[in-house]
Amino acid sequence: MASRRPASYSVDLGLIFLIGAVVVGLHLGRSSLRPYDAPELDPRPALLPLYLLYSLARLAVAYLLAVGLALVTGQLAARSPFARRLILPTLDVLQSVPILGFFPLAVGFFIGIFHGSALGVEMAAVFLIFTSMFWNLAFGVYESLITLPEELALAAGQFGLRGSLRWTRLILPAVVPSLLYNSLVSWANGWYFLIASEIIAVGPARYTLPGLGSYLAQAVTVGRNHETVLALGVLIATTVGMHLLLWGPLQIWAERFHFEESGDRPRTPRMARVLGRSRLVRWLTRTVVAPAGQEAIAAAGKLLGMWGASGWWGGAFALLLPASLLVAVFKLYGLFVSRPASPELAGIPVDLLLSLVRVALGVVVSAAVSIPLAWALARSTRVRGAAMAVIQILASIPATAFFPLIVILLRWGIGMNAAAVLLALTTMFWYVLFNVAGAAYAIPKQMDEAALGLGLRGRRYLRRVFVPAVLPSLITGCVTAWGAGWNAMILCEYLEAGRRVYQVRGIGATLDRATYVTGVMQVVAASLASMVLLIILVNRSVWDPVYRRVAERYKMEA
Amino acid sequence: MASPASVAAPAALLRLEGVEQFYGQKIRILGPIDLEMREAEFLSLVGPSGCGKSTLLRIVAGVLTPTVGTVRMGGRPLKDVNTRAAMVFQSFALFPWLKVVDNVAVGLESRGLPPRERLKKAQKYIDLVGLSGYERAYPRELSRGMKQLVGLARALAVEPELLCMDEPFSALDVLTARTMRELVLDLWASPVVMTKSILLVTHSIEEAVAMSDRVVVLKANPGRIADEVDLRGLPRPRRPDLPQVRETVDRMYALLA
Repeated sequence: MASRRPASYSVDLGLIFLIGAVVVGLHLGRSSLRPYDAPELDPRPALLPLYLLYSLARLAVAYLLAVGLALVTGQLAARSPFARRLILPTLDVLQSVPILGFFPLAVGFFIGIFHGSALGVEMAAVFLIFTSMFWNLAFGVYESLITLPEELALAAGQFGLRGSLRWTRLILPAVVPSLLYNSLVSWANGWYFLIASEIIAVGPARYTLPGLGSYLAQAVTVGRNHETVLALGVLIATTVGMHLLLWGPLQIWAERFHFEESGDRPRTPRMARVLGRSRLVRWLTRTVVAPAGQEAIAAAGKLLGMWGASGWWGGAFALLLPASLLVAVFKLYGLFVSRPASPELAGIPVDLLLSLVRVALGVVVSAAVSIPLAWALARSTRVRGAAMAVIQILASIPATAFFPLIVILLRWGIGMNAAAVLLALTTMFWYVLFNVAGAAYAIPKQMDEAALGLGLRGRRYLRRVFVPAVLPSLITGCVTAWGAGWNAMILCEYLEAGRRVYQVRGIGATLDRATYVTGVMQVVAASLASMVLLIILVNRSVWDPVYRRVAERYKMEA
Repeated sequence: MASPASVAAPAALLRLEGVEQFYGQKIRILGPIDLEMREAEFLSLVGPSGCGKSTLLRIVAGVLTPTVGTVRMGGRPLKDVNTRAAMVFQSFALFPWLKVVDNVAVGLESRGLPPRERLKKAQKYIDLVGLSGYERAYPRELSRGMKQLVGLARALAVEPELLCMDEPFSALDVLTARTMRELVLDLWASPVVMTKSILLVTHSIEEAVAMSDRVVVLKANPGRIADEVDLRGLPRPRRPDLPQVRETVDRMYALLA
């Protein structure tokens, strides 16, 4: 029976991708080989599309890496209790750590590995973007695998699904919705960190990679308003375009991967439902996205099946994460023991406190604005879908795009303190709003009707029904915002704009000064370590218990 | 029940030897169980919830390894998934992202059948359970009864020597459940279907009496075999209002009480 293997596009697609990657890689590599104290990016607007392409390539490479590794680690954590005990705490800690602060260390590492070659800078940039995309994807994979219906997993085993077949028929389809949902978050994060990763400074050395992020940053720093607006326009148009032409169709396609009777999975986002009415989007979904998605699942399944066949290096990877943490700790130790203490170290506790106040303020303001806004959104059944779609697109605009706006406000004299909090809010607010709005939509209709029947309206409804119903999600949103807030501090407490430096006292500013201006590694390490410790301490002693109590008391159960 | 002892006993298809299942280190939830199942036998396991009947079925299907004891399938000890058995699940356990035909073909795919034969065989069993015309539908578009028909077709399609059914009708409404029971008995009697040995787990005594050759009654804490009733003398079809059937059901209720 010489039955020919069915033609498969996955091999061709893989080849095309490989060739593309090599070409892009060579090109990036060559352009990176210029001396990296590169003076300035060519500011001609005609080069913007090229810069955008560079940035997109970095984001895409980082994203593919993140997805691949998320699948491997997530599945490993779900399958093996031993791996789980290593992976989950590591992810948890690394997720709650402000990534921006680790940039200089990572850059030093990569540049060291490549002996100062500029390819190292490129690698560092991709790595930094990767770190902003990875954690939530891995958690998403893990969570959707452990919530897989038990009998389905048993059926897969009983009917002999193993290796590649198990990946393509069971695991990959089961994680698609969560992967997609988290991809939106990951890309938003990626755009957010793009600027920070394309201009990398360690002490006096400054490396600039050509890209949209560096272009924008340079335009702001030098104070060229015209170019700033242009770059912002490109940035916003790209994120909005990706929503309409990529994520929307993907979400519509992914509807078939949802389980019917399970409330705790991310449901089809509203935006997808709104977009689903568009003819263009539906056509795109049918003709391009759906077949490509199927092929991607088949190809990924083949690859991952091969990986599963040689399972040992998955375990090696699980060991790698904690091991690298250990190395970092040793390096820090060496840094402090071998050198005299820098005088700046004494100021760190006060810096930390000031930043803590700012982050806390940001959390409180986000929550205070989100609750009434979510209520208003949930009440107006007519605009709900459209409003959410608009909000989602707005939220995908990276907060760094608000930089110029803040600078204008600064020139008007709102004060650096207010500006820092405001800038932080542009990232923190969305996390809270999304969580609260999602929970508000999920309030069962019967409960609303019962409340109406009992005469609960207005503020009474808010207090007795609405707030308790959204409380668990509010806490989740606040925890995420709290984490994002610390990243924002590193970005916001120290700004360079129009050849002027705006700064306010805080741990972010101290870290930035030590990184970009003075280059005292001791201060970098100390402020980072103290910040991480404070965050983990507050997470464990405040957020965890609060969340547990709230979740227990206010969870929606039939 | 008088069993025709003169008939030479067919070879044992399945044999459980001292099977025990522990929860953690100390708590025994099942066993020790010794049980034999003949070729072409319809055997039911009944018992109260918590007696471990579903656990026992999973051990037989090879998706759960017993803490102690051996499962022999055709004389050979079972080490991994029981590829000579196929399972029908209470909650159907269909892959929501696969069409009916792909769901039915899943077991054939993993057994390495080429696509065309896969399709042909899947189609045969889809037709047998009466789902012709629904091949391209997704499970979410089907009623519960139809979903379980897909589950049944999927299990039969691999042409297993042993069909394991875990409370297959308990998620269905009364009427659908009755139709499904009749369908299973018809298929069991039909020469077109290869599978002749069925192991059914149920909490319904009426169901067990209506369908099986032999009923094994389990009791809980830990799950043990309490009794065994041979029903081969009970003529088929067994309508529930026949005096003989009613009497048997009553007797078994007394056993369980």
